[in-house]
Amino acid sequence: MARYLLGRIISLLFVLFAVSVITFSLMHAVPGGPFDEGKQRLPDAAKANILRKYGLDQPVWKQYLKYMWAAVHLDFGIPYQMPTETVTSLIRKTWFITFQVGIMTVVLAFGVGLILGTIAAYRRGSWIDTAVTFMSMLGTTLPNFVVALWLILVFAYGLKLLPSGGWNEPNDWLIPGVFSKDWILPVLAYALLPMALVARYTRASMVDAFNSDYVRTARAKGLRDRTILTRHVLKNAAIPMVTALGPIIPDLITGSIFIEAVFRIPGLGKYFVTSTFNRDYPMIMALMFLIAFLWGVTYIVTDVLYAVLDPRVRLGGTMQ
Amino acid sequence: MSGNRKWIVLSVIVMLSMVISACGPAATPAPPTAAPKAAEPTKAPEPTKAPEPTKAPAPTAAPAPTAAPAATKAPAATAAPAAAASGDTTVFGAKLPADAAPYDQQVWTVACDIKANQITFDFEVQVYQRFCLPDLFQDQLVTLDKDFNVIPNSAEKWEVSPDGLTWTFHLKKGLQWSDGTPVTANDYVATYQYLPDPKHAWDFAWFYAGVLKNWDEIVAGEKPVTELGVKAVDDYTLQFTTKVPWPAFPAMMEFSFLLSKKQMEKYGPMYNSKVETSLSSGPFKLSKIEPGKRIEMVANENYKGMRQPKLQKLIAQYMDTSTTFAAFQNKEIDQLGYEWISPADMDIIQKDPVLKANYFPHFGDFRTDYLVMDTFNKPFNDINVRKAFAKAVDRDAIVKNVLTPIKGMPANAFLMPGFPASDKTGKLKDLQSYDCKAAKDLLAKAGYPDGKGFPKQEMWLRNEAAAWQAVFQAVAASISSCLGIQIEVSNKDYKVYMDALNAKPTKLTFGAISYGMDYLDPSNMLGIWLSSGRHSWKNDQFEKLVKDASSMTGDPAKRNQMFMDAEKIWVDDVGGIFIDHRWLGDLFQPYIKGDCFRKPDSIGISAWHWGNDWCWGDVYVSKDVANAKTYRNK
Repeated sequence: MARYLLGRIISLLFVLFAVSVITFSLMHAVPGGPFDEGKQRLPDAAKANILRKYGLDQPVWKQYLKYMWAAVHLDFGIPYQMPTETVTSLIRKTWFITFQVGIMTVVLAFGVGLILGTIAAYRRGSWIDTAVTFMSMLGTTLPNFVVALWLILVFAYGLKLLPSGGWNEPNDWLIPGVFSKDWILPVLAYALLPMALVARYTRASMVDAFNSDYVRTARAKGLRDRTILTRHVLKNAAIPMVTALGPIIPDLITGSIFIEAVFRIPGLGKYFVTSTFNRDYPMIMALMFLIAFLWGVTYIVTDVLYAVLDPRVRLGGTMQ
Repeated sequence: MSGNRKWIVLSVIVMLSMVISACGPAATPAPPTAAPKAAEPTKAPEPTKAPEPTKAPAPTAAPAPTAAPAATKAPAATAAPAAAASGDTTVFGAKLPADAAPYDQQVWTVACDIKANQITFDFEVQVYQRFCLPDLFQDQLVTLDKDFNVIPNSAEKWEVSPDGLTWTFHLKKGLQWSDGTPVTANDYVATYQYLPDPKHAWDFAWFYAGVLKNWDEIVAGEKPVTELGVKAVDDYTLQFTTKVPWPAFPAMMEFSFLLSKKQMEKYGPMYNSKVETSLSSGPFKLSKIEPGKRIEMVANENYKGMRQPKLQKLIAQYMDTSTTFAAFQNKEIDQLGYEWISPADMDIIQKDPVLKANYFPHFGDFRTDYLVMDTFNKPFNDINVRKAFAKAVDRDAIVKNVLTPIKGMPANAFLMPGFPASDKTGKLKDLQSYDCKAAKDLLAKAGYPDGKGFPKQEMWLRNEAAAWQAVFQAVAASISSCLGIQIEVSNKDYKVYMDALNAKPTKLTFGAISYGMDYLDPSNMLGIWLSSGRHSWKNDQFEKLVKDASSMTGDPAKRNQMFMDAEKIWVDDVGGIFIDHRWLGDLFQPYIKGDCFRKPDSIGISAWHWGNDWCWGDVYVSKDVANAKTYRNK
C-alpha cells in the first residue's frame, strides 16, 4: 500500500510538471498581455516598459524556468489583479471562503442526494421515484445562475426572508459565528446540480445492486431489509458511485464564478475566469496547479477507497 | 415490514430536517411585510426625453488658449468643522437643504462589478484597473461645468506664454490633505514625474505623448524623470512646458489627478489602497476597503476645495451585473449607470413613470460605434468598396428598431453633435447615408456586380454584450442583404481583438468597435485616426490638417474649421463606417436630489454629464428616503 501510494504521488508530480508546461506555453501563445490598449495604441517604449515591469520581455523558456524555480520554492509570484498581495496569500484568503461554501455544498448535496436516490431505488416505480427522477432532471438541466437569480427574487426581494447577497455580514448571523443567513441561498443554488447527480447515480447503482444475485440470496436466508440495504446493497452500490461522484468534490470546493458573483461572495471562484480575461499569468499558473493537484489527490483517494470497499481490489501488488 | 417503514420514515425526517435547516428562517412563520412602494418624488421631474439629434448643443468653445477664467471663489473654509457635524449640518459646518434627510442618512450606495479587475483608486497609477468611486481623493487643476466649459478646480487661474509652449497654473491657497498638511505645487511635480517613469509603466502613457516636453524620451528611458516639462515655480505656481503649442492643454488637465509626494515617498504610489496609508485632498477619504465586498468612504472634513459634499458617506457595494437592477428596485443602491441596464431592464424603465422620470440620458464620453477596415489591402483598399459598404448600412432603421433611440442616435460622422467641431450644417450627412441602389452601383464599379466574387468577410466584435451583438448583427445583415455579400459576425476576446487591431500591419480586416473621448477637444477624437493611431487608414491631407490644428494657437474659430474640414475628408474617404452615437444615462432613486443633474443645462439636457466632478458637492439624499428605504428604518 505504501509503495503504491508513493508511486501515485510521484506520478502526480509528473502530471503537475506536464500541466505547468502546457499551461505556460498556451497562455503565452494567446495574444494580449497584462495591459489594456482599449483606447489607443501605446507608444512602443511605453509597452516595452509594461512588459519589462512584469518580466515578460525575456524569452518564454527563460520566463518559464524562472517561474518554476520560484514555484518549487513555493513562491508563486504577485497577481497582476491584486499587486498588494502575493498569489499565495490571495488564494489562501479567498479559498478559505470558497472552501466553506464548497464543504457545505458537498454535505448538502451528498446527504440529500444519497437519501433521495436510496428512497427512489428502494421504491422504484412509485410516485416518489418519479418525483426524484423529475427533480434530478431539473437539477441537471437548470444552470445554477438561473436558480440563483430565482432564489434571490423569491427569498430576498419577494419574501424578504434572506439577504440577496453578501458574506458573513454583521446583521445576517443567525447564530453569531456559527451560522449565517448569507450561506443559505448560495449553498442551495450551488448544491442543486451535484445533488441531482448524486441522487441519479445512487438510484442507478442501487437498482443494479437490488437486482443482483447476492441480494436474492440474502433475502432467501431471511435477512431483514435494513440489514440487506446497509450491509449488501449500499456497500456494493458504493463502488460505481465513488467513481462517478468523487470527482465532483474538487469542482465544488474550488467554487463557481456564477454563484460567487451573484451572491457577492469574495471567494476564489471568480479568479478562474478573470485571470484568463486579464492575462494574469501568475494567477493562471497557480490555479492550474491547484486544480491539477486536487484532481490528482481525488483520484488517488478514490482508488484507495475501492480497496476499502471491495476486498477483491488489491493496490500495488500482483495477486499471489 | 415495520423495519423497512421505520427506515423510510427516518430518512424522510432527516431529509426534511436538512431542508428546513437549509431554509432557516423560512421555518418560523414571519408574514412577509409588503415592500413599501417607492416614494413618489415630491416634485416629479419632467421625463427627460432623449434630446433630438438636430438640437445640437453649441460647440463649447474649446479651451480658449489664453483665456484665464476668473477664479470661482472657494467657499470660505469654516473653522473647526469636524465638531459641527450633526442633524442638519455637515462636517464642513454647512446647513443641509430644507428637504434633505438627516446627515447620518446622507449615504450614497452604488454598485460595483464583482468581476472587475481593480487595484487602485488613482488614475495616475493605473487607468484601467480602478476601484469603484475612483479619483475622489484629490481635485484636478480644472474640471468641467454643465456645458462642458473648462472651469477652475484646484487651480484658481492659468495662463499660457506668448509662444504657446508654457502653461502656468496658480493653485488655490489653503488646500490641504486630510492630515492637515498643505497641497503644494511640489505634489503636482512629484505626481507628473511619476507618470512617465519607465518603472511605473503607466497604462495611459500615450496621453501626454508628443505633448509634454521630454515625455517620450523619459518613457523610452533616455532621459531622467527630472527632465520632464513640469516644475514648481513656488509652492502655489506650477509650470508645464509642452513640446509643441497645445491649445487643448487645460482641457487635458481634467485628468490632472494629484498624488501626495509625502505618501508616495513613504509608502509607494499605491498608498490609497489601504485605509492606514491613504491620504486625501479631495471631498472624501477612505474609511473601509474590502475588495470584492465593499468600499466605504466618508466626507473629508479637512477638504478645502470647491465641492464640499452634502453626502456624509459613499458605499460601493460589489455585485454581479445580473443582480443590480433588482437591487436598485429593492432600494439597495441609489444610482445605476447605463452599462448596468440590460435591454429588458430598459423596457421596464420606459414603462414605469417613476423610473422613467429618474432616468437621465447624457452624452457620456461622446462615444461613436463604427466599422473599421484594413484600407491598405484588398478588398477595402478600393474606395468604391468602402463607400458601397457605408451606403449599405441602414442606420436609421437599426437605431430605431434594434438599438432604440433611448440608447443612441444614427451617426453620419465621427464627432457626436454637441462635441466641439462636430458637423452642425448636415453637410456630412449625405456622404455615408443609406442608399442601397448607389451602394450596389459602387460595388459593381469596384468589380463585384451583385457581390459576385467578393470574398466572404468575417466581422470581428470586441467582446460585446448581447445587446450590442444584436446591433452589429443588424449592421452585417443590412450590408449583406443589400450587396449580396456573405458576412459572418464573430465576437472575439477583448485582448485578442485589440492585439489584432493594433498590430502594424494590422491583423484585422473588418470589424466593429467604438471610441469615446478622453478630453473635450477634436485633437483627441480625430487624433486617433492619424496614421500612428490604431486604424489602418491614411490620408495625407487629413493628417496635415489634424496635426496643424492640434497645435494651432491664436484663432480658435479657424482651428475649429480645420478640424471640421479634416472630418469631412475622412468621412468622404470612408476611413470608418459610422453607425451610431451612444446616449448613455444614469438611473437615480427619486430621493436622490441635486440641481447638478436634475436642472437642465443650456441646451435643455438634465443629466450628470461627463466631467461634472463638482456634482459631488451638490447631490444629497432627500427626506423621501424614509419611505423608500425599509432597511434603513429598521
